[in-house]
Amino acid sequence: MDLKPDFERIRKTARHEEPDRVPLCEALIEYPIQSQFLGRQVKADDLKSQMEFWAKAGYDYIPITVGMMTPGRVTQESAISRVIRDVMLKDSPDADDEKAWNLEYTSFINNRKDFEEFPWEVAGQLDFSKFYEVESLLPEGMKVIAVSGKIFTLTWMLMGFNNFALSLIVDEQLVADVFRKVAQIQFEALEKIFSMPYIGAVWVVDDLAFGSGPMISPQAFRDHVFPWYREMAKRCHENGLLFFLHSDGDLSLLMEDLIDLGVDVLHPIDPTCMDIFQIKEKYGDRLCLVGNVSNELLRSGSPKEIEATVKDLLRKVAPGGGYCMGSGNSVPEWAKFENYMAMRNTTLKYGSYPITL
Amino acid sequence: MGSQLERIKTAVIAGKHTEIEEFVREALSKDFDPNRIINDALIAAMDEVGRRFADQRIYVPEMLVSAMTMKKGLEILKPLLKGEKTSDRGVVVMATVKGDLHDIGKNLVCMMLEGAGFRVVDLGVDIGVEDLIRKVEEIGPHVLGLSALLTTTMPEMARVIEALRERGLRGRVKVMVGGAPVDLAFAERIGADGYGKDASEAVQLARDFVALK
Repeated sequence: MDLKPDFERIRKTARHEEPDRVPLCEALIEYPIQSQFLGRQVKADDLKSQMEFWAKAGYDYIPITVGMMTPGRVTQESAISRVIRDVMLKDSPDADDEKAWNLEYTSFINNRKDFEEFPWEVAGQLDFSKFYEVESLLPEGMKVIAVSGKIFTLTWMLMGFNNFALSLIVDEQLVADVFRKVAQIQFEALEKIFSMPYIGAVWVVDDLAFGSGPMISPQAFRDHVFPWYREMAKRCHENGLLFFLHSDGDLSLLMEDLIDLGVDVLHPIDPTCMDIFQIKEKYGDRLCLVGNVSNELLRSGSPKEIEATVKDLLRKVAPGGGYCMGSGNSVPEWAKFENYMAMRNTTLKYGSYPITL
Repeated sequence: MGSQLERIKTAVIAGKHTEIEEFVREALSKDFDPNRIINDALIAAMDEVGRRFADQRIYVPEMLVSAMTMKKGLEILKPLLKGEKTSDRGVVVMATVKGDLHDIGKNLVCMMLEGAGFRVVDLGVDIGVEDLIRKVEEIGPHVLGLSALLTTTMPEMARVIEALRERGLRGRVKVMVGGAPVDLAFAERIGADGYGKDASEAVQLARDFVALK
């Protein structure tokens, strides 16, 4: 099995062609998992070790975040947290209290005045140092996937979900303005990375749905969110990059919109509420799918169960291309390492084209 | 006469929050009983809103505007009920369990419970066993609603139920659980009294529990 990184493997898969093997694909693998793989500690500021992990584990890219939020959740390191702590709570005695700065606990834009006073300019000053540092570390054939910020999620988090949802109907212009500001910051960041030749794709990580369906109406997505993603997809394609979208939840009612706006690769086909086999049958010729190995299984299952799930996906979803193997969300530190390895190893062992399982 | 109530009900369903107060006042001026307006128009409207939400005919924003509209109507009617038996259908304490910060689903359940006439005490997110026990002792709710979005925090629900049992409180409060990774089998395994897959089901459970008391 060829472990040599080759981003063309992913490009071919996204074009619904069969490369040499099914690519491995994740938006996020937490450092404790990377550490166990390499047999030494991998930290957030150690890009060299991270690169070593992604290349040795068999991935064709390394994901690097360019946005105000790290994928998955708001942390102390998220750019937006620094903006809130250093600017908005500068003189507050609560600046060190997580409940005061973490957007998962609190919100900052409740009305027009808050919007006007929010330090957008500071929020737009994103850190690109990893993007510069990575260039000299990239093995031949390997690319960077820029994991872009969450236009939808960050907007509602800044406003608080209830306030956001209510405002969407009673003060729609305010919501539209917050979306615009958040999107503009993302676009400026992306324009910067488009000039970097080692970027292979942009991966938007933005949860649009609950397990029961879209978080807001499909029409509200069309009015306020999808125009931004349509433009982002267009700019990616103009620059020869693939456009990935991650969203948890049941996206069934949004599938046609996502395809129409230009999503090339959809992740992770949330196994708690979506049937990847049906999705493959219905949309598989227009969309490349990624993931679907249940996180609950990665946490509580056995390597044998993982192997059976991976083989099933290889057998039913991978033929003809258009599928990359991965988890049903991300690989968190609470996943069993042996289960992560079972997912990887089974893919490498049985994922050569043509699939003969 | 029914058209007055129908108009209020329709206004709540459509989220006409700027018009509801006028409609309610008009009904009162025509001698409608406040309790009847609450039960047959406001609560009936929220039941319909819950059904539409469950069927994905409306989404969270529309549901929230309906709830806000309902509350505006209720604010006018509540003072008129003074001296009468309280309009509360029962008391529900709600919380997202320790280690879990997710609250969108829980908030929807709170809102729908209020819409159905319950008094809801929302403790918030990341609430530990001891805090929950203290609140149950202090408030004496009919129902305790526990929410979790993470598989890693689901076991907290079992710990809460176990602690209620140890303190001799289990027979005094019904426990309902919900959240994306939770299902009926899990609820039964940990000894919960019920599982609601969405806000409408949670409201129905609470109604059933209170009716049984």
